[in-house]
Amino acid sequence: MGETGQVTFAMQTFERIHPVEFQRRFLSQSTRHSGREFMQFRTLQIIKGAISTAQGSATVRLGNTTVVCGIKAEVCEPDVKRPTSGYLTTNVELSPMCSARFRPGAPSDEAQVASEHIHRLSTHLIDLTHLCIESGRAAWSLSADIVCLKHDGNVLDAAVIALVAALEDLQLPRAEFDSATGMVSAERTMCSGVEVKKRLFPATFTLVDDVYVVADADDAEEQMATASLLVVINGDGKLVNVWKRGSGVISKETIEQCVQAARVRMVEIAKAIE
Amino acid sequence: MSRPDRREASQLRALNCSLGQLNRADGSTQFSAGNTSVVSGVYGPVEAKVYEEKLDRAVVEVKFRADIGAPTTKDKWVESAVRSTFEREILAHLHPRTLVQIVIQLREGDGSVDSAAINATTLALVDAGIPLKCMITAATCAVLFDDTTVVDPTQEEIDAARSTHTFAFASGSNDRGPLYVDSRGEFTMDEYSHCYDMCTLATERVLAFMRTAIEGKVTKEAKIGAA
Repeated sequence: MGETGQVTFAMQTFERIHPVEFQRRFLSQSTRHSGREFMQFRTLQIIKGAISTAQGSATVRLGNTTVVCGIKAEVCEPDVKRPTSGYLTTNVELSPMCSARFRPGAPSDEAQVASEHIHRLSTHLIDLTHLCIESGRAAWSLSADIVCLKHDGNVLDAAVIALVAALEDLQLPRAEFDSATGMVSAERTMCSGVEVKKRLFPATFTLVDDVYVVADADDAEEQMATASLLVVINGDGKLVNVWKRGSGVISKETIEQCVQAARVRMVEIAKAIE
Repeated sequence: MSRPDRREASQLRALNCSLGQLNRADGSTQFSAGNTSVVSGVYGPVEAKVYEEKLDRAVVEVKFRADIGAPTTKDKWVESAVRSTFEREILAHLHPRTLVQIVIQLREGDGSVDSAAINATTLALVDAGIPLKCMITAATCAVLFDDTTVVDPTQEEIDAARSTHTFAFASGSNDRGPLYVDSRGEFTMDEYSHCYDMCTLATERVLAFMRTAIEGKVTKEAKIGAA
């Protein structure tokens, strides 16, 4: 107890009982509880080929957020409408393991929306005709499973980077179609990669408490978010996706500034992938 | 280059709407832009399930059903887009511990479905008498491979587009910034800005259309009330 009527407690206690006020104290002083600046991203760590049983895999760490992407390849019959194309399906899993906010059972709305969004982005990554083994008969079907192990905010960025890195790590055995038997034989010793057309570089910005725009928000900041903005840039420096959700208003000028910041971030991500 | 349906680049398709068609919903709207047609129904404020009710405000729930096929994650994506756009523009604190349910049924999808869903929902909320901060209007633009930008593209134009851009604005605050943005494809910042401006103008026209539609309904009701 301090002065009369004044209560003092440890910083951790304050954070627990008044999480919003706790964050506001930092933000109003133009800083963040993690010590980062508003436009500063967390350190990115990428480990390619982490899972030996998958044809391609990558682990991505963004601060305390960890996601793993594994790509499994199977042979299947191509779609009748696109006989020379294979498939790339993506799935994002946000299990109860990664955060207390998720319940076991059917995938949460958040996970389904993330899966769908990453699927839409994945069309920019590889040319599906490269997955063809024999036109109309056999093609590779790649299923990319993105599993979040630790959810500390900005899972979408980590998931996109993990998908790009896992596709670059992908090694497909050389497959040959035998028209006499209708069987595909794969030579595991002769593997080759699939060309990634253009890398994607995501950057997420979050409007916290309707006032402050911060880059790469962590879980505590995301809880106070009123809007979020995802900017994805491809290897050519062209914009691929600008996606703003949430009813907090981010002005046109701020969106332009965020795109500039995303270009700076692009260089950092490219360095981490190499 | 002329468009397949001979529209000007900045011309919207013919807008059409009828309010209050569903008699069991608290408010509903059938909204169409050319062949794209959406029905939105609003139920609320109704009792919320115990586990989802919020002590200080109403919960907003959105369901989107496509015209054909089983529900997919695409529908979830549209639901999340609509919910995040409307969640805080509905004055939810006036109805604590209740639920406002928005059900959107796609009747025919011929491009610009996301913006049609948002426009239909605004009108359905007004029809249901749910208090709103503002009217929300949306519009879609597409940049074609020959660098022309067209407003309110059909599915045919979207399939042949290099990028598509959907913006939603709150009425009277266009200069503050967009409520919802979804730009996809491959584009530059200049193209984005151009589409932003074109969609701003388009949403103003949609808003004027909505105003006429609501005025029409109010005068009709006043006449019935007087008779």
